[in-house]
Amino acid sequence: MNRRKMLSFLGLAPTLLTAAAAEAEKAKAKKKDGKAPAGEPKIEALNPRGIAPAIQLVPMAPRLASLDGKTIYLVSDGFPGADHFLAQIALWFQKNMPSVTTTYRLKAGALPDDDPKLWAEIKAKGNAVIMAIGH
Amino acid sequence: MGIPTAPMVTIAFKDLALSNAAQRGMPHERICFTPHPVWGKTDAEMYAYLEGNDPVSGKPLMKEVIGALTDPLTEDEQKTGTVPPSVGPPTFSDTFDNLQQYYMDNGMTDFMQIVLPTQERVDAMLKGTSHSPDEIIGKMSPARGSYPDWTFNVRQVAINAVMAGCKPEYLPVVLALAASSLTALSSSTNSFSVAAVVNGPIRDKLNMNYGIGAMGPFSQPSAAIGRAWTMLSKNLSNSGMPGQTYLGTLGNSTNFGNLIIPENEKDSPWAPFHVQKGYKAEENVVSVFVGFSISQGQAGVGLGVKPVPLYHQALAYNFIPFGPLFGAVAVMDPLVAKGLVELGFDTKEKLADWLQKNSTISAKDARSTLFGGRWVPDPNTPDDAMIPRYAHADSYNFVVVGGQTNPYHMVANISYRGSVSIDKWT
Repeated sequence: MNRRKMLSFLGLAPTLLTAAAAEAEKAKAKKKDGKAPAGEPKIEALNPRGIAPAIQLVPMAPRLASLDGKTIYLVSDGFPGADHFLAQIALWFQKNMPSVTTTYRLKAGALPDDDPKLWAEIKAKGNAVIMAIGH
Repeated sequence: MGIPTAPMVTIAFKDLALSNAAQRGMPHERICFTPHPVWGKTDAEMYAYLEGNDPVSGKPLMKEVIGALTDPLTEDEQKTGTVPPSVGPPTFSDTFDNLQQYYMDNGMTDFMQIVLPTQERVDAMLKGTSHSPDEIIGKMSPARGSYPDWTFNVRQVAINAVMAGCKPEYLPVVLALAASSLTALSSSTNSFSVAAVVNGPIRDKLNMNYGIGAMGPFSQPSAAIGRAWTMLSKNLSNSGMPGQTYLGTLGNSTNFGNLIIPENEKDSPWAPFHVQKGYKAEENVVSVFVGFSISQGQAGVGLGVKPVPLYHQALAYNFIPFGPLFGAVAVMDPLVAKGLVELGFDTKEKLADWLQKNSTISAKDARSTLFGGRWVPDPNTPDDAMIPRYAHADSYNFVVVGGQTNPYHMVANISYRGSVSIDKWT
């Protein structure tokens, strides 16, 4: 992922990069003919953006040494098709890694909702999660 | 949870998934991508996805999924701390043309020229409200719960109102729209519309048009206020970034100015919309809606009947394509409303009750729609059972507007989301 894209995903304004690029262009133009761009008046205008939330970095959970003998929860968030897709993943594990146990669950609530009851179950009984968004 | 997780998303939502993960604190989340779509594919086709490659990384998909769960974490993946996002410098300085291009290139406009928000213009705009420029109004996101909320203050709304071409006296309406927390640019793949019904004396004070062409480009306040809603949605809530916070596959042209509907209270035979919602007639209120967009109702069955067309039956017919995800709104000329009164519907509530009972769909047909599970939750309901299109009468709402050149109406599959006092923001 390039730096511009990463900054954009983190909510950092591309203007930060554009401003620097614009300054570089102006400097280049000045160098070219030795004069600043001819005298159209400058206007100062305000930034219309709101207040973005600060981002708290979340460290990822430690990984497993291997999946052999482990229980993987296959969690659907309810998008159409997710259940069938996860069923195919379960089938894939049966064929290719039969020591892995898979358990299907449909997350409760609407798409963005938390499901604390399910998370507690997974924490108690599972080793890993594959979550499918469907669509 | 502390459990290793491999999220899977189709490639159509790559930018959205990566952006959302980053903004929620996991910029290195190990997202595994599949071809698009998953929905509607056969089991064999889905299995083939698993046997194939991640279309983003090019790596074998299931090997990548297993790696997502077992490869040791990198240093970046274990970082903690806070990243304070920046939205750029407080001001931009350049020539008129360069600034226009700059605002547009950085996603801050609707791709038309704006009124540049100089300090002088924003100071003038702020005279439209008694509220402090630093007062936080509320929060908004492209889809509540799915994206982090942004917050914003009075000054930031005023900047966007200047950009849209508003006059200071429009600012309380724009502030009320911002306070509704309803973005005009929902992130959904559906390309939603939003509507704002304006009630109260402010309509006349601002010279809003509720006569001929009320919802068209014939009123400066409606045009500017609607445009401001789009601007502030983009800039104050980070809505409207295609691929990241806007996924509407077709787009919706109503989002340029949105559906701004000053109700024609003086020619309506019914109580104004805001009075139905508990406000006094003399209060100034904006009521907001969101959903699937608006279309004409002229093909309604019964409209050819004389002497009084069967407007209620026409509405029931117009609502046939509507699904339960959103409610049903009829926007009608006063002549239609008066015709409905002649038919015995002397209140909007009576019309809503009639429609709730008489606008039905078979369980079989309901099940065949995208919303089958929501519409017919009980699997034991027989296929030939006729169920109400909406379980509750308050899913139906009616607004009277127009210049009485003809008894026409439009219908919109949109839901009422709430009302906000404009007076509070004066």
